[in-house]
Amino acid sequence: MWKYILKRIGLAVVTAFIILSLTFIFMKMLKPERFVGTYSQRMAFYTSQEHSGYLVSTKTPREGETYVEKLTSKAGEETYYYSVPVMEQYVHWLGNILHWDWGVSKTIEPNVKATVIIGERLVTSMKINIISVLISVPAGIALGIWAALKKNTMTDHVISTMVMIFISVPSFVLITFLMLLLCYQNAVLPTQWPNPTDPTSQKVLGYILPVFCLSFGSICGYCRFTRAELCEVMESDYLLLARAKGLTRNQSITRHALRNAMVPIFPSILAEFIGIMGGSMVLEGLYGIPGIGGLFVNALNAKDYNVLFVDMAIFTSVSLLAGVFLDISYSIIDPRIRMGAK
Amino acid sequence: MKKSTRILALALVLVMIAAAFVSCKDEKDCEHVDADHDLKCDKCGADVPCAHVDENKDKKCDYCGAEVYGGYLESIEDYRAYMKADLKALVESIGSVSVDVDAKIKEAQTAGETAIDAAYTTNDVQKAFSDAKKAIADCIPLANGVFSFTSKSAAEKTEILGILEAYAVRNGITGITMFENGGYVMYNERVTLGTETYIPGYGFGVLAEGALTGELASENKAEWKRYYHTYEAADPGTANYLDSQGSDVGDVYGYIGGSYYTVFMNDTKDGYDWVKELAATEPQPMNLNEETKQATTWRFELRTDLKYSTLGKYADKYNNLAVQPEDYITPFKLLLNQGNDYYRGGELANGSGASYIVGAKEYYDATKEAPKGILDDSKYDFSKVGVKVYQEGGKWYFEFTLGAAVTEYYAKYYISSSLYQPVPKSFIELVGVDNFLQFSEDKSSTPVDNSLSLGAYIFEQWDSDQQIVYKKNPNYVYASTKYAIEGIHLNILKAASTDKEAGIKEFLAGKIDASGIPDTYLEQYSSDPRTRTTSGDSCFKLNMNALDAETWEKMFGENGIVTQTPKDQYWTVEPALNNGHFRQALSYAFNRDEFAVAKGSISSVNYLSSNYMSDPENGISYDMTDAHKKAVASLLEDTQNGYSLELARDYFRMALDELEASGAYQPGTPENPTVIELNIVWMYPTHEEGYHKYVKQYWEAAFNDESVCGNKYKLDVTFAVGEDYMFAYDSMMLGQFDIGFGSISGNSLDPLGFFEVLSSDQEISGSFTLNWGLDTNDPLGDILVYNGMRWSFDALHQASTAGAAVKDGALDAMYTIDSDIKAGADGSVEGTITIKYMDGVKLNEVDGVIFGTNADDYSDYNEVSVQSFEGTTWNVVDDGNGTITVTFKVAAADAKWFVDAAYANGIDVYFGYDVAAADIHVAPAYIKTVDITK
Repeated sequence: MWKYILKRIGLAVVTAFIILSLTFIFMKMLKPERFVGTYSQRMAFYTSQEHSGYLVSTKTPREGETYVEKLTSKAGEETYYYSVPVMEQYVHWLGNILHWDWGVSKTIEPNVKATVIIGERLVTSMKINIISVLISVPAGIALGIWAALKKNTMTDHVISTMVMIFISVPSFVLITFLMLLLCYQNAVLPTQWPNPTDPTSQKVLGYILPVFCLSFGSICGYCRFTRAELCEVMESDYLLLARAKGLTRNQSITRHALRNAMVPIFPSILAEFIGIMGGSMVLEGLYGIPGIGGLFVNALNAKDYNVLFVDMAIFTSVSLLAGVFLDISYSIIDPRIRMGAK
Repeated sequence: MKKSTRILALALVLVMIAAAFVSCKDEKDCEHVDADHDLKCDKCGADVPCAHVDENKDKKCDYCGAEVYGGYLESIEDYRAYMKADLKALVESIGSVSVDVDAKIKEAQTAGETAIDAAYTTNDVQKAFSDAKKAIADCIPLANGVFSFTSKSAAEKTEILGILEAYAVRNGITGITMFENGGYVMYNERVTLGTETYIPGYGFGVLAEGALTGELASENKAEWKRYYHTYEAADPGTANYLDSQGSDVGDVYGYIGGSYYTVFMNDTKDGYDWVKELAATEPQPMNLNEETKQATTWRFELRTDLKYSTLGKYADKYNNLAVQPEDYITPFKLLLNQGNDYYRGGELANGSGASYIVGAKEYYDATKEAPKGILDDSKYDFSKVGVKVYQEGGKWYFEFTLGAAVTEYYAKYYISSSLYQPVPKSFIELVGVDNFLQFSEDKSSTPVDNSLSLGAYIFEQWDSDQQIVYKKNPNYVYASTKYAIEGIHLNILKAASTDKEAGIKEFLAGKIDASGIPDTYLEQYSSDPRTRTTSGDSCFKLNMNALDAETWEKMFGENGIVTQTPKDQYWTVEPALNNGHFRQALSYAFNRDEFAVAKGSISSVNYLSSNYMSDPENGISYDMTDAHKKAVASLLEDTQNGYSLELARDYFRMALDELEASGAYQPGTPENPTVIELNIVWMYPTHEEGYHKYVKQYWEAAFNDESVCGNKYKLDVTFAVGEDYMFAYDSMMLGQFDIGFGSISGNSLDPLGFFEVLSSDQEISGSFTLNWGLDTNDPLGDILVYNGMRWSFDALHQASTAGAAVKDGALDAMYTIDSDIKAGADGSVEGTITIKYMDGVKLNEVDGVIFGTNADDYSDYNEVSVQSFEGTTWNVVDDGNGTITVTFKVAAADAKWFVDAAYANGIDVYFGYDVAAADIHVAPAYIKTVDITK
């Protein structure tokens, strides 16, 4: 078992390394940025790029090599800028990573370590996501159970119909609608994520919209899944046997049906958690939440590679580790599954 | 009188009467009529030209078979009338040159009009027009020599600007202006504005002259309820303006930054005045040219009452600390140390003209490998940089030397950047160069801690991606008379970057004090009592690629002058855009007023927005001047603010005539019309609904009307957008477009300088050229007259902004440098540097300079004159006829350092020059690096 876990963690690390390496190489293979402006502005920009290690300048053109930019001063002095080879940048970057130096931000928060920027925002994102999971799991499962127990009744139909409708609505659409309704038209909730200087009551209210919008899809997902699993289990022979043995309906459901139905549901919680993190990328931007989801989009637009790579590393690591936990959780929930057994 | 004499006299009279009767019948006075088309006058029988008739529309005269007009306009008379109007406008744009020349021009114009009247085909009319244009051009001499109009008065420069603008409008290189980006702004009822009428280039004076009359209920922190609440779409993450590329950091830093001079609203509240801020006196010239009232070196007295303010962790030591004289130099040392890698430092070092501080480039270059920080003067000589502080007569002075002579007003203007706000060296050393004005690496200190203010406000709080808060600076020079508002709360409203309604929603929810009104809210709020109208800072345009295929290849092809494009990526130009009448038709077809009402912007045909000042000292907007009104008259005449469907259709008809005549297009059929596709590249996907649909509708409705295109052509306006807004700009700058949407803003106090972006020469425009159509350095391309001479656009622009050498009307090089330097077999270096200069240019202090080092740590990094090496020969010979020849030799044995460095970096040719006739004086500088052939 432990050997299997270590092996999976090892593989996750290797996978993360490959993903990050490919991301770095592909990003750096993008066409170098050309700056538009006056001679002095362009000279300043390319000098800065040279200092950052992205470009190198020469006074004479290099044979057979395409330059990124050629600057000619009014006096006719020429300066050629060439990209530093991607693999050279990669080796340099890798060397820094091995020393746990992920670099500093260039545009998002210049001079601040990328890890510090991520760390600061990770807390907010995780809070919202974890609270969403904590709400959506019991709510979704409870609704699913209720629907399953009331199968083919009006209650079941209403729940199932609502689930089908709301599962189709992305969280960012929902929050846009709810912001308009609850924040701007009726002033019930804060219009934007509260500032650190706002009172606690305001901060608590600030969680309602994003948590609700992130939970909504998950609740529907869990509900649908739970209902399907429970309905299937409740029609199984062993449940009939349990009733035949003299267990009440409630006893048979809680002791046998629910436990067996939960086997595929619990692992899906982790998968759903990753999904929620992805959904918060757009949502954070809309509600002004200082989290890593919105940061990823900003860093990508601002070409702040160091921040982007750390953000990417977080998403990758969380996803891969969640995968490992997912596999392990199977053996905990269902003892018949033995990890690493031959 | 004898009877015979009387009879003779009577006979003579009768003969004269008879002769008179006969002559009235001759062809001279007869109003010829040739109804039977026999080419003889029906009245006098004289030979008359055929008055061609083409009733069957085969473009051949029904009577004589000659080729005749059969185009899209009503008749050839209409076409002639438009072309004669073009000719008249051209002559009017020339103005008066001299009595003789004016007469010749008039003569050429009359001859041209006669020739146009005599032409019966599109081609013939065009030829007559071109011949007339050439004849007119030949009347005016081409400019030759070295010229500088930099010291001209504001009025004279406005006149030049008008001439340049008229040329640009005539040739379509200003694009088609869609709107000015001003519009409607709503202010919270608690805000008292400084003025109710928007002042271009200044605003409403909300902070400096305004006030808040109540508290903002939605603000949770009691101390901030009386702060002015506004928003930014993104957190710039830093306040380090010294190292920023965009305007966002400048906006954040601007509240805490002080400058030597600033502007405040005038007493009549309709303009603004320049006042002293960190300076104690007005600048005094140190080398005044009495004639031009300009100088390069200026000084002003330092204030003795300035104190720094901070609310950060170093407040104990620095809050209320008096500013010391040496603090004035620190920001320059900070900027110009290349080791600090400050973007604005590079910009300052590579500047030109008056925006350049003498010696900055040399210091910047010398610090390429220097450590971070404020460098020691003993290691890095700062004495040659044109800023210094000294004491004289018991008073402290700040003296600065600019790269070009300027008037007192511009001396204030160029030195008044908040980049130059004094700062103590000890503070930089305490917080560290990397942390100055921004967060530290681990965020243990913030911009609140790492900044000192001499401006109106101080940083109070900075929460990343959420809020930036400022508090009023009690030490500010005008704290008691201006800036009554207690603080500013800048909310970071991220949604505003993607949702144009985010700002107004926050405003209506009572969270902020002001917001622009997007078009979707206009109907509801444009008449609201809280709403004010503003003018904009930029005019947005549809920029044109009006090149023909051949010129496009010359500019952008495989061996293009501007950029090099592989053959398989060549852009297929749309020939219609190469036609001036077609472009003018597009302009007339765009209903600006209707569009502006729909979008909440300002209807405009102007290239420059109204905040560009042709006389900034007196607050005169260029758009208000006669020079501008004359330049854009052709766009406005007989139109509704540049819109006229009738004119648009006539100009489309003319364009179709011309395009068909030139063979650019062949007419199609109603079933299969020839399609003219205009692809417009926009900045954002939202522009499809916001802008494109209007343009498409206006243009297609004007052109695709049967009366215009005869169902033989179809105009198809298509939409394109890239992954971000830069795609549109890149497309325009690389020639990969038909029409591109965009705008460039420049220095609003120097509209003449900003016109550099209209040049097709990338070195002049700084790669900002968005409209392509003609070579702006070709004086023969169109007629541009100033001072009685013909110029190219580039030549006149450069002469007006920096001084220029002009040859046959075109911009020429003031000097050229050639070199032939070789390494000798023994390791020595010898060679010749030849500098050819124009007549009237006097070069001085010609030298060669070597940069280099022997040590890995650059500890012996140095820059030395070639002549300084022992045993070196350095002979400068000026032949007095425009050539300076420098021959030199450096022996390897004596100067191994030199040889190694010269191999590595080349030799920098160094000199200054004067053009006495044009009053151009350029201080010695590193002009060009020449290489050594090994």
